[in-house]
Amino acid sequence: MTESAGIAVVFTPLDWLWVVLLITVMIVCGIIFYRLGKRSEADFFLAGRGLPWWLPATSVYATHTATDTPMWICGTIYKYGMRGIWFPFFTAWTAISAFVSTRIFRRSLAMSQAEWQTLRYSGLGAELLRGWLAGWQTFMNMFVLAWVSAAMGKICTYLFAWPNWVGVVAFTSICAIYVLVAGYWGVIMADFQQGVISFLVITLVSFWGISVAGGPSGIVSRLGEIGEGWRLNPFHFDGFWGLDTSAFYTADFLTLLIMATLGGIGMGNFIDWYPEAQRIQSARTVRDASYSIWAGGFVTLIRNSVWAVAILAFFVMYPAIESEAQYEMGWFRLGFEHLPAGMIGIFFAGIIAIHLSTISTHLNLGALYATRDLYHHYINPEASEDKLVKVGRLNTLLLLLGSFLLGLTMQSITSWLIFALWLQAAGIWIPSLLQVVWWRFNSWAYLSSWIANLVMSWLVVWVLPEIGVLPDLPNYLNFWMLAVLVSLVYLPVTFMTDPDDREHLIRYYVQARPLGFWGPIREEAARRGLLTEEGRA
Amino acid sequence: MSLFKKTWTAEEADHWTMHDFLACLFGVLAFVLVTLGVAGSMLLQTWGYVALGFAVLFTWLTFKVIDPKLRALSEAFEKKQAGFLDSVERQNRWED
Repeated sequence: MTESAGIAVVFTPLDWLWVVLLITVMIVCGIIFYRLGKRSEADFFLAGRGLPWWLPATSVYATHTATDTPMWICGTIYKYGMRGIWFPFFTAWTAISAFVSTRIFRRSLAMSQAEWQTLRYSGLGAELLRGWLAGWQTFMNMFVLAWVSAAMGKICTYLFAWPNWVGVVAFTSICAIYVLVAGYWGVIMADFQQGVISFLVITLVSFWGISVAGGPSGIVSRLGEIGEGWRLNPFHFDGFWGLDTSAFYTADFLTLLIMATLGGIGMGNFIDWYPEAQRIQSARTVRDASYSIWAGGFVTLIRNSVWAVAILAFFVMYPAIESEAQYEMGWFRLGFEHLPAGMIGIFFAGIIAIHLSTISTHLNLGALYATRDLYHHYINPEASEDKLVKVGRLNTLLLLLGSFLLGLTMQSITSWLIFALWLQAAGIWIPSLLQVVWWRFNSWAYLSSWIANLVMSWLVVWVLPEIGVLPDLPNYLNFWMLAVLVSLVYLPVTFMTDPDDREHLIRYYVQARPLGFWGPIREEAARRGLLTEEGRA
Repeated sequence: MSLFKKTWTAEEADHWTMHDFLACLFGVLAFVLVTLGVAGSMLLQTWGYVALGFAVLFTWLTFKVIDPKLRALSEAFEKKQAGFLDSVERQNRWED
């Protein structure tokens, strides 16, 4: 990570009081659920599947508000103006998911997305897929922990001129206390208050920054004066399509829009699906699950817009920053350079809340995959609930240590996120839809799409451009190229391998009631009378 | 079938209907409009206020269309959940 020089932020005793007070409340709030968390595996990882919609909804919002998020959004808005708002718009997948994939997944009762693979598919392919996804998700959660911790390290270096490792290690370790003690109960309860705190702080700092920049009218007129008025237009694109990697084409916008919305039909299209799947399953009813995902996404988009306007304010004040590493810190600079003494501590406490809410989720989620899918399913299926909770805690600790090692090697936040959030998902975007809507799509096809996508995304985005075989392509072309290339692998695999076991598919259909092309399975289930209330009883 | 159908049987609610499609459509529109509306309103732009107003409208429509159906299917499923959960646990432990 390119380190910014520290700035002279003066923390008064009142500022430190806010920081200490809020950290104490966050830790205590998590720890008091110790007794609930240790009752069973379902309590340690799903809070007993009994939460009202607004708790997982707050957690959806809080989890996706990380310390790296304002850097990423700041990076895109500073670079592209208001049209950059469409990059983080991928959250809109929750609008369709709430009423499609969320409903189907909640009815499957799978504790994790990896477990869902063995409910949806059958045989060796399903088990390979579950093992693969469990291992991959354990690593990915460690990876997310690392990049979020790296962002915190960058902020602390910028703010206090601390060595990078101090910011990476210190606050993540604080969070680990209540995740280790209370599991998902601690995560969800701490997320609730962290979500509220972070939303208030984001609003406060953003409005403060806008005010300092001259207010809304001042920003609009100033942008006009410096010839940058186009930045106010969310639909100001550089033509329909093209090959310039620094441009933002209508094709980019349409790709993002299609990917974000239709993606809600599938499961596993985005890395965000995995924490959401845990929240969906922790909701007490199907209805609660649907509303939690919808509301969480809705509030996240409001937050994006508040940030976007604040970054325009930052641009007006500092319009000539060329270094990405510098301008992606814009929102933090608005707060630390312009808030009065006494409020800086609230801002920093808000940043800590933002950080902890994300860290806690991924610590618990990574441990879920390692415990439920690897340990419980493959290593010790007969393990007692007490043993499973202990293994869950051990896995949480291992993830924490692994994330520290990775976090100290991270480079640019924005590039990593753009790669991870959509390019890496490009090849599995369509297969993730197909596995929900098409009975004939089988485990071998989905497994092959994952492997092909992992290889091809690195080749197309990084390796081939580096050695001059491919030019650097705009993001939308990378996305569609990967989607087509990977389909050349999974479509033949689908038709060259047998469908999944019919009895298994019928059992899954009767329970989950998936949408789409399930004709033969639905007809067989209906013929046996399994789709009526009496038949299912 | 009425757009704002209030009473659903469990069996009716288990089928995918136009209500699901409309909830998705209205939901997406609400999401696009709230993104534009909040930003535009904060910049005191007329289009921002208009977008925000429509975002509220589509949010209301989303829930008006889908809530009765969601309640019905949700209640029906919860009655069966214990049995399904037992089956999922047995599969996880290789007993089924």
